[in-house]
Amino acid sequence: MLLVVMIGTAFMRPPTHKLTYLKLVMPKGWPVPPTNIFANNPLTEEGFQIGRKLFYDARLSKDSNFSCASCHQQFAAFSTFDHDFSHGFNNSFTTRNAPGLFNIAWQKELHWDGGINHIEVQPLSPLTATNEMAETLENVLKKLKGDTSYVRLFKIAFADATINSQHLLKALAQFTGSIQSYNTKYDKVKRGEDSFTVSEKLGYTVFLTNCNSCHKEPLFTDNSFRNNGIGANDKLKDKGRMAITGNPADSLKFKVPSLRNVTLTGPYMHDGRMYSLNKVIEHYRTGINSSQPTLDTLLRKKIVMTNQQKADLLSFLMALKDATMISDPRFKQPD
Amino acid sequence: MMARCSLLFLLMQLFISAAIEQTPVANLKVTFVNTVNKVPLVLDSVAYTNCWDETYTISKLKYYISNVQLQMADKKISKENESYHLINEEDTATKSFSFSMPAGKYSSFSFLIGVDSLKNVSGAQTDALDPLNGMFWTWNNGYIMFKLEGNSPQSTVVNNKVEYHIGGFAGVNNSLRRVTINFDAPLILLKKENTEIFIQADIGKLWNARHNLKIIETPVFMTPGTMSAAIADNYAACFELIKIVQQ
Repeated sequence: MLLVVMIGTAFMRPPTHKLTYLKLVMPKGWPVPPTNIFANNPLTEEGFQIGRKLFYDARLSKDSNFSCASCHQQFAAFSTFDHDFSHGFNNSFTTRNAPGLFNIAWQKELHWDGGINHIEVQPLSPLTATNEMAETLENVLKKLKGDTSYVRLFKIAFADATINSQHLLKALAQFTGSIQSYNTKYDKVKRGEDSFTVSEKLGYTVFLTNCNSCHKEPLFTDNSFRNNGIGANDKLKDKGRMAITGNPADSLKFKVPSLRNVTLTGPYMHDGRMYSLNKVIEHYRTGINSSQPTLDTLLRKKIVMTNQQKADLLSFLMALKDATMISDPRFKQPD
Repeated sequence: MMARCSLLFLLMQLFISAAIEQTPVANLKVTFVNTVNKVPLVLDSVAYTNCWDETYTISKLKYYISNVQLQMADKKISKENESYHLINEEDTATKSFSFSMPAGKYSSFSFLIGVDSLKNVSGAQTDALDPLNGMFWTWNNGYIMFKLEGNSPQSTVVNNKVEYHIGGFAGVNNSLRRVTINFDAPLILLKKENTEIFIQADIGKLWNARHNLKIIETPVFMTPGTMSAAIADNYAACFELIKIVQQ
């Protein structure tokens, strides 16, 4: 009888490597993520490390020139530093500004237009876009299968040991989904570990009055899609959210980006048209064209802000830089 | 205590396996036959004429069949497990699939054309749902439920292309369609017996089954929208039962 039980147990649990399970940090006072992005993708150290290797591997692109990290640089909070558009295959440009990557577990939809409905399937877009990595999924898998280091790593991390698109995408999601920002000065002040300067404190008040409705703390975004009145880009004619929903009411609406690390993620707006935070604040103060039919209702009322308040607001925004995240060795290019 | 637990566990296992054994199962095979005006479809080389007198060839025809189920006379529904199939005209092996059903008396058979909304938002999938199959939109996520590509002299786009990539799983333009086939006489599935259901998808009906679809007006449609929903209504009407073989 014991033998039967033993055989049964052996059958149910095939011998696998012992995996080290990890958990996302759920900072105190934060909202519960809209979905559990790791519900069908148990987060492990082994999976995370494959994702990290993939994220920094330029062979994922057609000409081996572009990795995910080419456009998502750690020192720029995983956006493209100082670029309105990122560079892609064959001297092309992307058509939107690369957003910073962090706290993805709290986002229901990804991309400026929200066209991506799950973190796992996001990489399919940059991998195959002709103006980004320009590669095919078939070729990526072929390259990985021909690399003994990947073969060994996938064997350890995934129960059936195979390199397939599902495991590739799940591993990448384990890395990108683990990039979290919760150690800015703002966070430390909230935890009682630090205190704001006078200017930062005044800036926080200005922020709460004028910005917090959309850039809602503590994530500094409400993840909604809004027309912030910058007007269409004449060349790109990008309609934003409308391209996804087909609804004219969504014309010129783009995702509200997080203001965490905002001093590192410039230039600003979906097309990177504003090179400084000063310009951005000036837009909200004086530049809104209220004749646009889909302009956000919150922006129809003029934002009144003195020059001193604007300077204080800038001080506060600087306190949203997460030095821990941008120097975290776990997110660096692996050796 | 440990011994008692093991004994309980073993008894439970025996009970479960006995319970499984007690439900007699029948084998069911479903085969899809793609036709144009009831004649088996030939890719590329045969030119067809639709009801609008437009001529066309078909180079690619792929569609998802999912959530296959049978309903018994007493309304009880039996579903195929992990029911996701990509029917690809190019590959005969994809046009049939087999599964087992509890033996019994069934009144109808039904399936979804496309991939249910849940699987459209659940991240990276594999097998029939692998994005490698070229049936997943990478910029506006979701599965292409039905893909027809070909050429027509009436097409006004480059290379006289005809391309319908139909998808969208939510909202007013949802392209998911469930086809239900009510059996004239109850289908009796006996234990261990093999039954094969043949379903025809007659592309000849694509052009006017519910809405008018003219190549000259709409040679290409590849986003969720009013037209894709109309095309989905049309292809849903292309599916019908042709025969059931039992042995």
